[in-house]
Amino acid sequence: MTDSKNRSRVNRRQVLSIGAASGLVAGISPQMHAPAQAQAKPMPSLEIANLADLKPGTQIDFAYPDDESPAVLLVMDGPVEDGIGPDQNIVAFSSLCTHKGCNVVWHADQKVLVCPCHWSSFDPGKKGRMIIGQASSGLPQITLAVDGGKVTATGVSGLIYGRQTNVI
Amino acid sequence: MTDTPLPPKNAETFNTVCQFCIVGCGYKVFKWPEGEDGGAAPDENALNVDFREQQPALGAWVAPLAHSVITQKDGRYSVAILPDDACQVNSGLASVRGAGLAASLYRPDGPTRTRLTSPAIRSGASSEAVGWDEAADLGARVIKAVMDRWGPNSVGMKFFDHGGGGGGFENNWAIGRFFFNGIKTSTISIHNRPAYNSEVHAAGDAGIAPLTNAYVDAQLADTIVIVGANPYETQTNYFLNHMVLNLAGTSQGMKESAFPGEPSASGRMIIVDPRRTMTVATAENAAGAENVLHLQNEPGSDIWLLNAIARVIQERKWHDTGFIRKHTEVQTYESYQRSTLMLGRDRDEFLAEASQRSGIAVSDIVKAAEWIAKPKAQNVRRRTLFHYEKGLIWGYKNYENIASIIDLALLTGNFGRPGTGCSRLGGHQEAYVRPPASAPRPARNIDEAVRRGETKVFWVGGCNPVLTTLRAEALASSLKQRRQPVADALEQTRGRPAAERVAAVVEALKQGGMFLIGQDIYPTSTTDLAHLVLPAATWGEYDMTSINGERRLRLYQKFMEPPGDALPDWGIMARFARRLHTLYVADANPEMANRFLDFDWADDEAVFIDARYTFSGKPSDPMEGYAGVDYDVLRTLGNNGIQTPTRLVNGALVGTERLYEDRKFGTPSGKAKFIPAPPPWTGYAAVVERQRSNHRFWINNGRSNHIWQTAFHHRYLEFYRERAPVPYLEIHPDDATALAIGPGDLVEVYNETGTVQAMAYPADAVKPGHCFMLFGQPRGAVGDLISDHVDPDTTIPWYKGVWADIRRIGPVPELSATVSFKPTNFAG
Repeated sequence: MTDSKNRSRVNRRQVLSIGAASGLVAGISPQMHAPAQAQAKPMPSLEIANLADLKPGTQIDFAYPDDESPAVLLVMDGPVEDGIGPDQNIVAFSSLCTHKGCNVVWHADQKVLVCPCHWSSFDPGKKGRMIIGQASSGLPQITLAVDGGKVTATGVSGLIYGRQTNVI
Repeated sequence: MTDTPLPPKNAETFNTVCQFCIVGCGYKVFKWPEGEDGGAAPDENALNVDFREQQPALGAWVAPLAHSVITQKDGRYSVAILPDDACQVNSGLASVRGAGLAASLYRPDGPTRTRLTSPAIRSGASSEAVGWDEAADLGARVIKAVMDRWGPNSVGMKFFDHGGGGGGFENNWAIGRFFFNGIKTSTISIHNRPAYNSEVHAAGDAGIAPLTNAYVDAQLADTIVIVGANPYETQTNYFLNHMVLNLAGTSQGMKESAFPGEPSASGRMIIVDPRRTMTVATAENAAGAENVLHLQNEPGSDIWLLNAIARVIQERKWHDTGFIRKHTEVQTYESYQRSTLMLGRDRDEFLAEASQRSGIAVSDIVKAAEWIAKPKAQNVRRRTLFHYEKGLIWGYKNYENIASIIDLALLTGNFGRPGTGCSRLGGHQEAYVRPPASAPRPARNIDEAVRRGETKVFWVGGCNPVLTTLRAEALASSLKQRRQPVADALEQTRGRPAAERVAAVVEALKQGGMFLIGQDIYPTSTTDLAHLVLPAATWGEYDMTSINGERRLRLYQKFMEPPGDALPDWGIMARFARRLHTLYVADANPEMANRFLDFDWADDEAVFIDARYTFSGKPSDPMEGYAGVDYDVLRTLGNNGIQTPTRLVNGALVGTERLYEDRKFGTPSGKAKFIPAPPPWTGYAAVVERQRSNHRFWINNGRSNHIWQTAFHHRYLEFYRERAPVPYLEIHPDDATALAIGPGDLVEVYNETGTVQAMAYPADAVKPGHCFMLFGQPRGAVGDLISDHVDPDTTIPWYKGVWADIRRIGPVPELSATVSFKPTNFAG
């Protein structure tokens, strides 16, 4: 059945998507405050951007809570649920689709994150809830804080795809 | 501390198949004592996966809803239910429904705690929990008294006949034995309709079974035709794991090795659906829009459209004359040409009327004909796979609708070859084994018998007609009215001997009362009205067998106990049969007593084997025969099972990948028949025409991706419920604006049949003047709007044929807060 597994889920688009899934987008310098190798494994704190630089439409790819966990920060046009910043319009989510772990893609025209593998789509204006698709949870939301003019990731709400616990 | 526990190395493992849609994806169940979880290292968990590292896309994961904690007699257990990589159906993919199988399990400390756990006798004022002996005694005595006084047809039934959750060959066999051989009633109906009838009589008359092809055929076809179905949402992994691979060109290698030397390319898809669904959007994304033809037709026009496509094929001489001559009854082809293709009528005039009726341009009708039947390079015949479901079955009108697509497949010779077929896409899984039913054609409308007072006992099992039938408000009010005298009788005789209570019930029945038995896994709006409530076991709580949409038969293993005293339906029927037997023996009536003999099955497999001997794959009904199969065989075959019908060849068990490879069809002659399918115009039936002319909107309706049937599980599970807290109503943004309706507004949908509330979801998936409403939702039944019109030839309702007006009630933020109103048909 290995053949059937291998041939089953790969179409032209998802090959591209999966290929592009790893690594960080240039242009930001995430400073990973890696936790000590303690048993507790607390959530790290990660500076993502200067608040002053964030305008509606901004998209910043980053990784959190570690390099293997891609995430995306989005600045929406207006206030959204759990948005932060003066306009309550800054949100961030894990980029790994909670169906099968492909990288979701931001569609600025529709304001939705869509997985190119099986087309699950997620609404960043509704805490990452699935709009339609085959996942069984929304996209995990990255908890953000504004501290000294910096937007910082401080935690994750929901379980990141491919993990039994968010900090591994 | 982990966020989802991992199964340890020594976890018990079971094979099973999803309980939800017809696709029947394979799953692995892991069960272990709570707290004795596996570790993150690969040698510490049963998945052999290193969870100290991020897993790659398409890798292993225990999603939160894939885990639950259950309580058994001997303690608490963790259960994880994960899609099976080795199952050919889904190759490790879960749908949104299957991904939450674990969350649907009974847990007394969780959201599914509302399951029915003990039999109960209910009057208006009180509910007495009773044991099975007392429940069966009262029920059997009432049934006997009614049969003896008013005859067997006074006992009515409406029962599931499906596979998958709660169903299966075992339960269907016992239910059929009880009602058809025991009671011998003809007051019978199937879960979703008012009668006991095939939904595809025309296919049967043509000699074609409902499920003809293998899922792999969707990877091999040149063109896939989908009429009245939305497989991304409701046959998900057949679509994603088979059809999409063809559309995206991924199965090209498979085609080349299956058909050496034959020209082939990425598959094309034709979708006939008034809505631009997620299926249309994702098909275009996978195949390129140029390889998808979406025919957004007007309601009730399928016959015109399909016949017009057939007429073009015939005129261009793309039909399969060899197949027609050798494998069909030629005189039926001759009459088909006259009645259906209307060869006597001018072609351009015919196409113009078809175009006008259907709203589809003649050029698109011609294009569909080309994609279906125009020969490929080297003059090689195309391989076209036809699928249809409720848009056609529950359309106007059922018999000719089905005939028109079967005829099209016959005309083009698309049976019995890889990459071809003409099949239902299906809703639930299948598992139909029953003795012959007393079901004339056209079938009796049982809803009417209930409303008219002819039914003295009405036994409803595993379905909820109050929510799903047509003209549902009228049925509900009849049930409420007719239950009351019986409820009063039961209340007044509380604590009295059974014989006295039954005598009081019979007096109430004489006054127009009706004794209602409700058998289900959860309380429903039907069991809420029942006098006798019987708790059934469901998926995972007993060993069960079913087939999927390619007739793949598998064993769904028991891995947990049913809640409380709940029993598999077969066990409930057996208890009642045994009690009826002893009552008739005591009454010195051996003839009646003998009808209820042989309900002494020891276990699930005993029922399966009993059914097998009676139902072993007849030529006229080959789909569900399973000669030679027992549970040991199925355990060995695991989640790939074997495709029915099965047969023994020199002692070896052989399945059937696709039907009609031998070109022997299910008719006495062995040749298929064309079935005349003239369009039912000049107009709609009177009651429908009245709705249509009086009301502004067509209320199309159906299932969705994330809510299974009546939401019987999903109403309790937050992830699913919060996305449809009340039924949604897709309405075109222009229409919404005209009525000052915004996203999330509660609206009232009303016509002369009834009134229902829904949540507005403005979406250009529907055309102006069209709406789409989620069906069967516990907080708003579209059935309340559906007239009592049925196809007079088949007694199948036109559930989709609803017209109504809409008015805004206003925003209800507490209901709409969790709903995204982004398009549900955007694929990037």
